[in-house]
Amino acid sequence: MFRKSAYILIAFCLWLWIAGRDRHALTAHSPAVEYYQLKLPDSLPPPVYDFKNNPLTKEGIALGRHLFYDPKLSIDSSISCGFCHQQFAAFGHFDHAISHGVLGRTGNRSVPALFNLIWQKDFMWDGGVNHLDIQPLTPITDENEMGMDLGVLVKRLQGNKTYRKLFKAAYGTEEVTSQRLFKALSQFIVTMISFESKYDSVMRREPGVTFTAEEQGGYRTFTQKCASCHKPPFFTDYTIRNNGLPYLPSMNDVGRMRITNNTADYLKFKVPSLRNVLVSAPYMHDGRFFDIFQVFAMYDHGQQKGNTIDPLVKNGIPLTEKEQRQLYMFLNTLTDKKFLTNKDLSEVLITD
Amino acid sequence: MNRLLLLILLFMASRTAAQQVQLEISHAVAGQPMQLQTASYTNAAGDTFNITLFKYYLSNFSLIAADGRKITLDPAYFLVSEDNPASKKILLLQCPKGEYTQLSFMIGVDSVLNFSGPQDGALDPLHGMFWTWNSGYIMAKLEGTSPSSRLPNHMLQFHIGGYRAPHVTQRMVTLPLPSPLRTGPQYRPQVLLQADAMTWFNGANQISFRQMAGFMTPGTPADRIADNYQHMFSVKKIVNQ
Repeated sequence: MFRKSAYILIAFCLWLWIAGRDRHALTAHSPAVEYYQLKLPDSLPPPVYDFKNNPLTKEGIALGRHLFYDPKLSIDSSISCGFCHQQFAAFGHFDHAISHGVLGRTGNRSVPALFNLIWQKDFMWDGGVNHLDIQPLTPITDENEMGMDLGVLVKRLQGNKTYRKLFKAAYGTEEVTSQRLFKALSQFIVTMISFESKYDSVMRREPGVTFTAEEQGGYRTFTQKCASCHKPPFFTDYTIRNNGLPYLPSMNDVGRMRITNNTADYLKFKVPSLRNVLVSAPYMHDGRFFDIFQVFAMYDHGQQKGNTIDPLVKNGIPLTEKEQRQLYMFLNTLTDKKFLTNKDLSEVLITD
Repeated sequence: MNRLLLLILLFMASRTAAQQVQLEISHAVAGQPMQLQTASYTNAAGDTFNITLFKYYLSNFSLIAADGRKITLDPAYFLVSEDNPASKKILLLQCPKGEYTQLSFMIGVDSVLNFSGPQDGALDPLHGMFWTWNSGYIMAKLEGTSPSSRLPNHMLQFHIGGYRAPHVTQRMVTLPLPSPLRTGPQYRPQVLLQADAMTWFNGANQISFRQMAGFMTPGTPADRIADNYQHMFSVKKIVNQ
């Protein structure tokens, strides 16, 4: 009798321990994680992204970086996130008008550059995706991008020794879930912060850094003619507008209207940031302009003025040759070389 | 020693057998048991069709007592799918002791969870119930084929979702119970529910597959079908055990 009850007692304790452990594993980090504090300039407004739901850790960021550069996230293991989001192009796709995908497929929009995303509340050119953590779902599963089934991906990563180690380091157990995958990707992506351009140094009055006369002239033109939408310090106000870009029947992209079914949103697209703009060509949602001077020309005389055109640009933006030249010089000061060469963001080679 | 055993048993009982209610859901089409693929049905518009996939979210359960007192249960989300028998048995936990005359729940997922990033469990986007290009849950999904459909392969594809005004597709269902539901430590009550898929097309907003064989974005047709399927549930029986 005594022995029997002892067995039962032991089994019961074991059960309690297992039940308790499971709950702990789901909610808590492994005790070994090292928390990471993003370094941000003081002058910025508070981020939209809620770090309480995804506290940054060195291990989480490392896992996210591994995922970001891993072609195994695509169906035929050919394309990683970093394939289209190249660091030297401010995580846009250098020289590619529209995104490329698995099996030689192409999408229908340009790859957006990635930085300062913690202030952005919706994503994609039409603002259709409503949270940074869920954003990677689109390129991963889109048949024209990575073409991957999420369930298959979770199993694939679970079967990989390196990932079991990385997930355990970041989350305390080896279990791979889509939620853990997405949050880890965010951990890495939110560290893509760009406020170290010449413009920033000038604004912070760092000793010895000043605009040249040409840059100063461009800054004046920018402030008068561009800054209401491309609003500093982010150089976008994160809104969605019709800038007068002519509609292309061959692309038939109606923009925001696809999301809202509202004709008032016809041809409206997200205002992109002008930070790092000169290294992240081509331009517009369909990448039709490879040269920033084509963009200037569009605003100067090339708009199509449909009835959803934004009031701020409905009369065009006249830009003289001198203004265009100076604007180019000013935009050049928005290139953040430290960001483009930051070793913490660079590609990791994945061989297994 | 016996006392020790008894103590352990009591402790386990108090932990695991908290007052719960078991829902058993069966699916029907115009009153007949639903059969995926093989059975042929005819809607009020005269279109014949079959069903290959039928699933939906249930959440926000509450129990209502005879005096109108409403007990909101702990948040829980269930993805019910015809092809998954386990998903058709739902266990409602932490139901306070009492006698209830109505059952209330939501078809769909609360708005806030549609814009709070990736969720897990039943809400994991890997279940294919989350739109990738226009974030938000597909609250309910019905697929099949019909000769009346002009879509490729004559398919039917109704993915009903939308959480932002004016196109909101969550629907609250309140069902009177044919006999009182008793909860408490000594009861294991069961509620047998039936969901009839024909209501999607034969409700107040009649759907003809000639005109519309699918809808897969938030919008007015989705709202109308949600208005229809809000009435798909009925309570067949209460078993108080």
